[in-house]
Amino acid sequence: MKVLILNSGGSDSAINPIVRDLRDKLSGDGIETGELILRDMNYSPCRGCFNCWVKTPGRCVFKDDGDVLCREVLHSDYVIIASPVIMGYPSAMAKNALDRIIPLIHPYLEDIDGEVHHMKRYEKYPVMGLLLEKSGDTDDEDITIITDIFQRAALNLQSRLGFVKLTTSSVEEMANEIINN
Amino acid sequence: MKLSIINGSPRGASGNTEKLLEHFINGFSETAGNSTEKFYLIKERPDFEKLKGVFLDAEILMIAFPLYVDAMPGSVKEFFESLEPLKNKRPDLRLMFVIQNGFPETYHNRFVERYCEKLAKRLGCIYEGSICKGGCEGLTVQPPQLVEKVFSGFHNVGKSFGETGKLSPEVLSKLARPEHLTPENMKLVIPMVNNFLWDGLLNKNGAMDKKFDKPFE
Ligand SMILES: Cc1cc2nc3c(=O)[nH]c(=O)nc-3n(C[C@H](O)[C@H](O)[C@H](O)COP(=O)(O)O)c2cc1C
Repeated sequence: MKVLILNSGGSDSAINPIVRDLRDKLSGDGIETGELILRDMNYSPCRGCFNCWVKTPGRCVFKDDGDVLCREVLHSDYVIIASPVIMGYPSAMAKNALDRIIPLIHPYLEDIDGEVHHMKRYEKYPVMGLLLEKSGDTDDEDITIITDIFQRAALNLQSRLGFVKLTTSSVEEMANEIINN
Repeated sequence: MKLSIINGSPRGASGNTEKLLEHFINGFSETAGNSTEKFYLIKERPDFEKLKGVFLDAEILMIAFPLYVDAMPGSVKEFFESLEPLKNKRPDLRLMFVIQNGFPETYHNRFVERYCEKLAKRLGCIYEGSICKGGCEGLTVQPPQLVEKVFSGFHNVGKSFGETGKLSPEVLSKLARPEHLTPENMKLVIPMVNNFLWDGLLNKNGAMDKKFDKPFE
């Protein structure tokens, strides 16, 4: 089992210590972990050209760290998006990363429980988790809206939302969610 | 009424948002005295200085964007973040959204619609509502009568808003149909999109034999 953390926190974010503790805990349990520090990566926002589906299927035409995002996400069993909540939603840095992993799925549509979604390109996709750092203006309604949207996004990416946790939650609890999923 | 519009599509003026906006604007402009101005978000990143100015000056601001992974595109989120210092500076600003998506059902937009309503509140503005519409990808390969329905739908919403200054729930829900697909429609739509839209594009690019490639396996 491999757990990947997409860390979109700043260098002084409360995300960093909890991610460190979580990785220590998981390593102690024999689980492999990896982390991508998004602020140190270079990837532009998706421009919506769909070339990753119809020209170079499976691969974005941009030559930047988008390939790294796709490869690392695909080769994980659990991907945790760790992000501050800014203006009521995870960061643009995290959202731009999420937009850039659509080469992992297939353009073809299929019926999933009575709704249109995309088909798989690969056999297997990781479970998604969300680790959020609240800001001064974040309230419970924001967390509910984020949770509902990410449940949809996970479904759309052939994944499933395993958990939504805050940086104030316990590392043990989070590790258990991952291990027991 | 003066309506300021931000087209938030990463495809800028060449995307679907632009086409829908054109029809909305035509309807809106039928009422004498109404006027519009339009900006392209993608051209203004990453500092969005011009758009912040628009936010500070506008009478009514309409932000339009395509659904990306069930929410606003990352570049649109960048813009929302840039507005944080302007919270509560425009209590009189009337804010509205256009959210359109590729899948045929409008339902996919309903989740980020809640975010948009909350965003208006968070910015301390007046929320006028969100115009949501599914089935907006591949307008060039859809049957003409379907496309005509989408375009005339946007025209009607624009016209009605231009006349009354309000987004009527009836007009919005009419445009939004279908909210979900019936099983029969699902069986029709899925092969149509796969064969005409995706295979059409794959063929055009000579990439048909690579369509199931797994480059990162
Ligand atoms: C990265 C990316 C993610 C997308 N995610 C969704 C989605 O979650 N649901 C959906 O219905 N359409 C999705 N779409 C399709 C767009 O919403 C659709 O193509 C839209 O009409 C594009 O508008 P534009 O041409 O104005 O940019 C996505 C497109 C891209 C490029």
